Amino acid sequence: MTECVLEFDRVAIHLGGREILSPTSVRVERGEFVCIIGPSGCGKTTLLRAAAGFVAPSSGQVTRRGQPITGPSREVAFVFQDYGRALLPWRTVARNVALALEAARVPAAEQPAHIERVLATVGLGAHAGKFPAQLSGGMQQRVQIARCLAQAPELMMMDEPFGALDAMTRESLQDELARLVREQGLTVLFVTHDLEEAIYLGDRVLALRANPTPEQPSLAALIEVPLPKPRNQLATKEHPEFLRLRRELYQYLGH
Amino acid sequence: MIRWLRPFVFPALLLAALEIWARTVGAGSDAVAPPSAALRAFAAALVDGSLLAATAFTLGSAALGLLVGGGLGVAMGTLLGLSPRASRLGFVSVELLRPVPSVALIPLAMLVFGFGLRMEISVVAFACLWPMAMLTQAAAQQVEPRLLEVARALQMNAWQRFAWIVGPAMVPRLFVALRLGVAIALVVAVTVEIAANPNGMGYAMMIAQQSLDPALMLAWLLWIGVVGFAINAAATWVQQRVARRMGEGRP
Repeated sequence: MTECVLEFDRVAIHLGGREILSPTSVRVERGEFVCIIGPSGCGKTTLLRAAAGFVAPSSGQVTRRGQPITGPSREVAFVFQDYGRALLPWRTVARNVALALEAARVPAAEQPAHIERVLATVGLGAHAGKFPAQLSGGMQQRVQIARCLAQAPELMMMDEPFGALDAMTRESLQDELARLVREQGLTVLFVTHDLEEAIYLGDRVLALRANPTPEQPSLAALIEVPLPKPRNQLATKEHPEFLRLRRELYQYLGH
Repeated sequence: MIRWLRPFVFPALLLAALEIWARTVGAGSDAVAPPSAALRAFAAALVDGSLLAATAFTLGSAALGLLVGGGLGVAMGTLLGLSPRASRLGFVSVELLRPVPSVALIPLAMLVFGFGLRMEISVVAFACLWPMAMLTQAAAQQVEPRLLEVARALQMNAWQRFAWIVGPAMVPRLFVALRLGVAIALVVAVTVEIAANPNGMGYAMMIAQQSLDPALMLAWLLWIGVVGFAINAAATWVQQRVARRMGEGRP
């Protein structure tokens, strides 16, 4: 029993007269974790931004539960890579999370309980009163994820969320994200340039190529990741299937 | 203790040199007076109440002028910064009015308001208006674009975007505008008093000069310096307090 929450129907995007993304069709099912991967300039972020309603496709359309997307929606949360710029530096951690609730007009009396619950989910319960500048990069990104969770979104868009973090922090946040997705049944579109991250987190991996031509369209591959869950940084990354997928994707991306 | 006194060594030497010079070479001059005489004149002005009255007038008109000019400037700058249409419509008018030297408005202000508080306030307000409007416009245009995307993602309306994102993001730059405004307001208020308005510290200094009382004139000059220093220090203190409340400079 699957339900399509997001559908790209021959979506093409041109920026500055150049075709960034050639017509691409993909369906995303509820509860799925889809990773988008590809070299710089292949349009992976642009595809994500089209799904979030930030940009309109040049042709084709993106539909959410059958409805064409006309603009951003609070039901679609967006996690930016540059957490340092996406947080309000003048608001504490708790008040940054509150921003999502205020925008959704959640009554002020109900907000503290929401905030406390969401911050506990991402392990920031003890830091509610701190300002973003007082936190490490990994913790700042957790704040942004907490704010997105507070939206209670149907879809979570993540644009290289761990790209600016060090390897250790990245791995622990990957595991935490996987746990959150499992517990809350989130549907996630996750852009990354890291092959291993894409395979480790994804149910499916969508590989895009840069400079598409009619013979070589943007969509290079869309592959299933049949690795068992919950995954584990050591066991999963040594799994023969993981290594096979990595080699396969490596070749698709034209290395 | 000694270290703390160090910045005062140079001013003290300067005053001592002035004292010696005024008592030897410049003795009997109508243009200079030793600092000790200036201090006596200062004490006399403090006792007879003229010091407080003139200071209150100058600071009051500078503050009211800053309030009017700064308030209008911030409102205008915000509008120009947030609305490209307003910016295009207002461009020529702003660029024509902005270079007019504020003190050139004194004759007009005297015609309209006569002598007194309102005339001085109007000139100070005009002087503060333009630089504060320009700095506010820049502040409104330089809000982090990512935060505006967060506002879009959360489907904020124009008012929410301003109240929660743009307004608070402007605050640090608004303080730069405010500190500039404070400095301009005091300079222009004293200038108006020296040039035209028979009130306040500038006028008191002029009268002392014209009645050949260099000691009193010097006393006023030093006092205006002290007042300017104190006002700037107060503005800095408020700025730091607000910055701290907004999460800056915390470990």
